[in-house]
Amino acid sequence: MQTMQPSIMLGSYVWAQDRLPQDEFVLRLDDLRAAMARHAWQAVFVYGDAREHAGLAYLSNFIPRMRWGMALLPRAGEARLLCSMSTRDLPAMRTMTWISDVQSGWGPEWEKAFDPWVDRLKSERTVELGTFGFDLMAPALHEQVRRSLGDRFRLQRADDILAIPGSRKRPRELTMIRASCKVLEAAAKTFVESWRNSQEPESAALDAERVARSFAAQDVRTLISLDGGRTLVPYQGRFEKTAGPLVGYIAVKVLGYWADMLITVNDRSATPASRHAEAALDALVANVRPGARSGEIYANAIAALRPFTLHPVLGESVGHGIGLSLHEQPEFRAAGDSALVEDGVYALQVGIADAESGHVLLSAIVRNTANGAEVLARSPSLEAA
Amino acid sequence: MSIRLHWARRPAAGSSDAIGVHAMNERAIVRNSRLIRATRHLQDEALDGLIAASNGLNNFLDSNAVYVLGGVRPIGESALVLDRDGASTLIVTPAWDVERAAALSSTDDTIGTDDLVATLASVVGTHRLDLSRTVSVGLSLLGQGLLDRIGSALRTLPKTADELVRDLARVGTAEELAAAERATWIAERGYARLLEYARPGLREFELAAELYCFMKKLGAEDNFLLMSASQHNLAVRAAGERILDVGDIILSEITPCYRGQFVQICRTTVIGEPPPLLREKFALLQAAMREGLAAGHAGARVADVTRAINGVFQKAGYGDYCRPPYMRVRGHGLGITSDRPGDIVERNERVLESGMVFVMHPNQYIPESGYLMCGETVVVADERARSLSARPAQLDVIAV
Repeated sequence: MQTMQPSIMLGSYVWAQDRLPQDEFVLRLDDLRAAMARHAWQAVFVYGDAREHAGLAYLSNFIPRMRWGMALLPRAGEARLLCSMSTRDLPAMRTMTWISDVQSGWGPEWEKAFDPWVDRLKSERTVELGTFGFDLMAPALHEQVRRSLGDRFRLQRADDILAIPGSRKRPRELTMIRASCKVLEAAAKTFVESWRNSQEPESAALDAERVARSFAAQDVRTLISLDGGRTLVPYQGRFEKTAGPLVGYIAVKVLGYWADMLITVNDRSATPASRHAEAALDALVANVRPGARSGEIYANAIAALRPFTLHPVLGESVGHGIGLSLHEQPEFRAAGDSALVEDGVYALQVGIADAESGHVLLSAIVRNTANGAEVLARSPSLEAA
Repeated sequence: MSIRLHWARRPAAGSSDAIGVHAMNERAIVRNSRLIRATRHLQDEALDGLIAASNGLNNFLDSNAVYVLGGVRPIGESALVLDRDGASTLIVTPAWDVERAAALSSTDDTIGTDDLVATLASVVGTHRLDLSRTVSVGLSLLGQGLLDRIGSALRTLPKTADELVRDLARVGTAEELAAAERATWIAERGYARLLEYARPGLREFELAAELYCFMKKLGAEDNFLLMSASQHNLAVRAAGERILDVGDIILSEITPCYRGQFVQICRTTVIGEPPPLLREKFALLQAAMREGLAAGHAGARVADVTRAINGVFQKAGYGDYCRPPYMRVRGHGLGITSDRPGDIVERNERVLESGMVFVMHPNQYIPESGYLMCGETVVVADERARSLSARPAQLDVIAV
């Protein structure tokens, strides 16, 4: 789910070397270096910003809390990381990445930090460079990169050539995602309990956030419904009691990895809508297996929802990949034809908006295994709730 | 998917700010006055229209043109189209956010979409904008990929007028000043909570989490919160995993946002009794703050305020340290309304105007004490700048 982007991400982003030691990044860079050799790239530039930084985080562990960061990764030689922060802030930035050469690329610092580094790559022939994430880059910075490179270098968009991060999660990534799911479930439990005590969805969301942050969540996003689940809204600051079920959403990021959950708690007896939503989520989970097609999974979930239709807040999708980005490929849509991979991790989401039968939103996070889906987190059961 | 909601509350073009807006809430009236001023600007400059855009990132140092004109803090990428007759349309992503946006927006129409590019092209067509006589604000903040697609869909990009909206909003309205005062109240309560909650053994991130949630409960919709500790700080940074200890100097830059108005207070707190030298050096920052407040009157130049602050440090022998990495700036404007008057630096020749709100912070690294912080959100008045804080920064002590 898309949520309001905070002005800064608050949690601790110091490189956890015990959980992600340097050798992990050596392994992660192997695929990239192979691609560099295949495409004759002398270096790749990996850009990320505060909102979308999966590729940058995967390769460097650096997550820009605000503005942007860019890793300059050569085929041979020392990497450099540029961040859009003042020189005053560099000591703190250096604690967030395995790259020892961290420089400010902000404002007038750009030319001092970027130009000398690329000068090392100069050759008599045009130098080929790969780029990741440049679509996200603001035009002024894009122009600055081009100006600095001049006609000695040629940029090739690498996003479509190599998926970084890949769909198949590495073992250490799975460990991080499990840790994230654990924090998510603790926060979701608080979400429900607090709502039961207060009937205030915003207070419940804030209590859940507090619990997640106390468990070292690096980021927490919430949405709540003030109209029984028909729509979702970000923080409003009203803290009002509302009638009807609790319908909300929470996402937590732990050690760089996201986990999220849709929550519906209705203290009345189960409605046809809630039964169909549960059945659709079961169908989604049951259909996850290596090689399954995303469009096929979508179709099966929609069939299980009938006669109801998919909740509009889901944007005609019943899930997607999740990991360093809250929203990774593939997207489970009608037209989707991506094959699910073993050790892929997916957020599966279903919901119904029905004025008579009620509004429901449910989800699960699963790991795809050779034996089918391993559920890592799932919305509290409607009946148990 | 696109969903359009129509809000029949547009005043007639050329009418006074209040005419035709009686049904709007107070916030929408304020925003609408900015829409009307923007419309007048288009008419005065013989322009056909304006396209404002937001990338959905909420930078506390930047003006968000969609918020200023439309009154909506967008979740995702968004745009606002205004034509010279005063007709306006807000486009928000994702599509499901349309009802919230329409309830807050001061535009005539609000459209929720998952395809900003196609919807923007369609809305530009509906408003019959001649793009050769249209200006844009904030398109330069969008990603290059999205901007390229917008350029293809519109067949051209309007010329950039990124200063327009921040200039229109450079002096806050009474409602924005009230929001700044409320935000400062929240910040001061947040700091009081820090004094209650911080103790040896607590991790920085735990303290930051408590402060963040505490201020959110008080109404802070966002918070650019930096909070870190060390026995000798080089700068303030975001909270990490350090365990607080006796003798630590906790630096906090508390920056809540209330109704679109960020404010900031900067504080220095010691765990345990500080040495006299620390008090002596902190007094330099307080003196610099007093000089800055006195210099920050309407009509003064930002450069003069900066020099007044730097002068205190220079006189004390720290002239070499009045530059990065020993400090960054002596203050700055605050988003997301308008970031005027800009950074408080010696090269900024902008003239202060009565009612401008910004943060003034003579934060400084001093070799003997490390980095120290002292800062308040201030409003420019005729005689001097006035701090919005009830209690000015002191060197506070957490007893152990």
